[in-house]
Amino acid sequence: MVQVWAEVAVAVTKHAPQLPELGAALLSAAMALPCVMGNAHAESAPEKGVFSFKYLNYKERQQIGADANTGNAATYSKSGASAFDDRIRVKASASSIMVPINAEWSMSGTLITDSISGASPAYHTEALTGMKDFRRAVDTSLTHYLPNGTITLGMSHSGENDYISRGVSLIATRATEDKNTTWTAGVGINRDEINPANRIVFNETKRGTDLILGVTQVVSMNDIVQFNLGYFNGHGYFSDPYKIYDERPRDRSHQTLQARWNHHFSELSGTSRLAYRYYTDNWGIRSHTFDAEWVQSFGNGWSVAPALRYYTQTAAKFYVEADPSLSPFPPNPPANAQYFSEDQRVSAFGGLTMGMKLTKQLNLDTKVDVKLEQYGQKGAWTMLGSGSKGLAPFYARSLQVGITHSF
Amino acid sequence: MRTKAPVMLGLAFALMALQGCMHIQSVEPWQKGNLAKPEMTFDDDPLERGFKEHIYSSKEASAGGSGVGGGGCGCN
Amino acid sequence: MLTDASTLPIHRLSFKAMGSACEVVLTANTAPEAEALAKAAIDEVLRIERKYSRYTSNSIVAQINQQAGQGSVACDTETWSLFQFASQLFEKSEGLFDITSGVLRQAWDFRQPQLPSAQQLANLLPLIGWHQVVLKDQTIALPIKGMEVDLGGFGKEYAADRAAQVLKDKGVTHGYVNLAGDMRFLGPKPHGEPWMIGIQDPRHPDQVIATFPMSQGGLATSGDYERYFELDGQRYCHVLHPQTGWPVKHWRTVSVTAPLAVLAGCTTTMAMLKEAQGLEFLESTGFDFFAIDQAGEVHVHS
Repeated sequence: MVQVWAEVAVAVTKHAPQLPELGAALLSAAMALPCVMGNAHAESAPEKGVFSFKYLNYKERQQIGADANTGNAATYSKSGASAFDDRIRVKASASSIMVPINAEWSMSGTLITDSISGASPAYHTEALTGMKDFRRAVDTSLTHYLPNGTITLGMSHSGENDYISRGVSLIATRATEDKNTTWTAGVGINRDEINPANRIVFNETKRGTDLILGVTQVVSMNDIVQFNLGYFNGHGYFSDPYKIYDERPRDRSHQTLQARWNHHFSELSGTSRLAYRYYTDNWGIRSHTFDAEWVQSFGNGWSVAPALRYYTQTAAKFYVEADPSLSPFPPNPPANAQYFSEDQRVSAFGGLTMGMKLTKQLNLDTKVDVKLEQYGQKGAWTMLGSGSKGLAPFYARSLQVGITHSF
Repeated sequence: MRTKAPVMLGLAFALMALQGCMHIQSVEPWQKGNLAKPEMTFDDDPLERGFKEHIYSSKEASAGGSGVGGGGCGCN
Repeated sequence: MLTDASTLPIHRLSFKAMGSACEVVLTANTAPEAEALAKAAIDEVLRIERKYSRYTSNSIVAQINQQAGQGSVACDTETWSLFQFASQLFEKSEGLFDITSGVLRQAWDFRQPQLPSAQQLANLLPLIGWHQVVLKDQTIALPIKGMEVDLGGFGKEYAADRAAQVLKDKGVTHGYVNLAGDMRFLGPKPHGEPWMIGIQDPRHPDQVIATFPMSQGGLATSGDYERYFELDGQRYCHVLHPQTGWPVKHWRTVSVTAPLAVLAGCTTTMAMLKEAQGLEFLESTGFDFFAIDQAGEVHVHS
């Protein structure tokens, strides 16, 4: 995805991305001098290229026989311990490279390969069916730097054995003279082809258009905020062909409002990063996402960042509630229902993530990081009305290890 | 309305963030030392963000918020 | 630019400014064109020299010094931002880089091997201290009569950056501005190879001790050999510590490359002033450097 983020302290970070603090501070002090860098307020391509690699190991599981309302396991396995069913396991590698071509142009490319295996439910959290797939995605983009802004053209392609996605995007940013305010506007178009292995449908497609409008504002030497308004509209096949009883509307539109705020506490050498997103769509789903992270710097280039995320969503209008008493049979959708789905992902639930990231700057150009996260999803954890019942609590653990190098 | 409380909470959160904005200061280039730190930017780890968005959009119904484009997938 | 710059000849134009030999090196189609480009750059250097000289009576610096202990002087945008920069340097060097320390010139005359008396220094030290200077509403006031500001600490490097910018705005993409060793580069040699700049051996003036390949950015050098005298086997150089009034001793020479000449210049000066802590300071800037200490040992980061 071509990200919307406008650097406000551009002159410092782009001209000397890996200067340690003193060098960067001296450089930004020199920016006070009139016209020593020509139009010191001009955007220009970074001076150094960047290569990054990250590996993800993701494993999810659900609790067997647990009652989603109380969160307690209602039945236990023979050994007396609460048991889990494994679900999906993903091993992914992502590599990306950004290269400045000259002062006005830069290019970047990202390659991601996912190895997915395991099992996922055919309906609600029942009837786990094995699967195995391999996905490869490529994103490329070209950025042009203008006196007060940038334009980025992006292309993406993602393929797995039953799904192909292609997209293009265009994002423009424009900053005020003092670089304290940056406006961003972007549009993306995607076209996907779905050819499920079970041949339940054949050569289905879905198209969508994404729009985003945002503003980033420097509020003080230690505060920066960003607001983004997003809009999506799509037509085509949105159902999940691998789920029993899944027939979703052929159009989907959603709107999002996101607010983010970073605050640096000099005395503590720490930074708080808070974010909130409100989401609403035409399927009756509304959600709130709260993100909070604290980045604590230590000497010698070490930093530790604990993070917390809370998510809550309502169910889609056409979601069919689970009824474990019917097991092993899935509940029938209401008679005369045009749309229905028994996919856990459009039920009502709350999700909580706790994570910890450790980063070490090895030298001026190289940084390594490792992040561990634990996610839990339960109907009972929702704060929007009452959660969906009869779904097994779902847990996921993810480990990421990465390295970034400037050249 | 049962939905009122969470919407209010969400708005309160947004307003807390806005509170910082009520005293928007004009920051000179030579004062941007702290703002240039990676943790003060909004996208210092694009690969991590890519994995995060991909995982959450395959386990939850919401998508989007801060960008456009990007490949879709048949994630289950 | 319709002509491919890589085929253009290199022109060197020498001139005198700020009391030293200077030159502008650039590529241009013809000699007259080169001269016209260089003249624009040289005019900018001379403008800065006149405006900030201690000596010319109508320079803003002379006015400010003349008003010391009396009143404040209004500054134009350029002057104000130079003082803002000086404030930043004062802060970042923990008070070592202090543009009010020029009064020490009165105690140290490097043309004669004579040490100042303790009394002489005691009279001058209270006049030094940038923290005493009042900066407000784009005006500056020196509170004590006899205080002086002196932009010599980064004036030449600033002029090199400004002159280079003039050339850059006129489309020069290969060349550099050299103001007595403070240099700012606009681009490599016409075919892409960097300019090989020799650093003078601090103890053998006609020998080169190190070479910096330069294509962009600034290069500056400070040393204990530029202005000094020796007395009883001890060298006393022109870089004076603002708090003791005595010359620094630890480094024979320090050269730094940085995105701007003005940055390279302040860094070399601050490294000299920090003496033994200078090495740690240089490392923490992230800039490439070459330095030789009093024992003759070489320290490098690149």
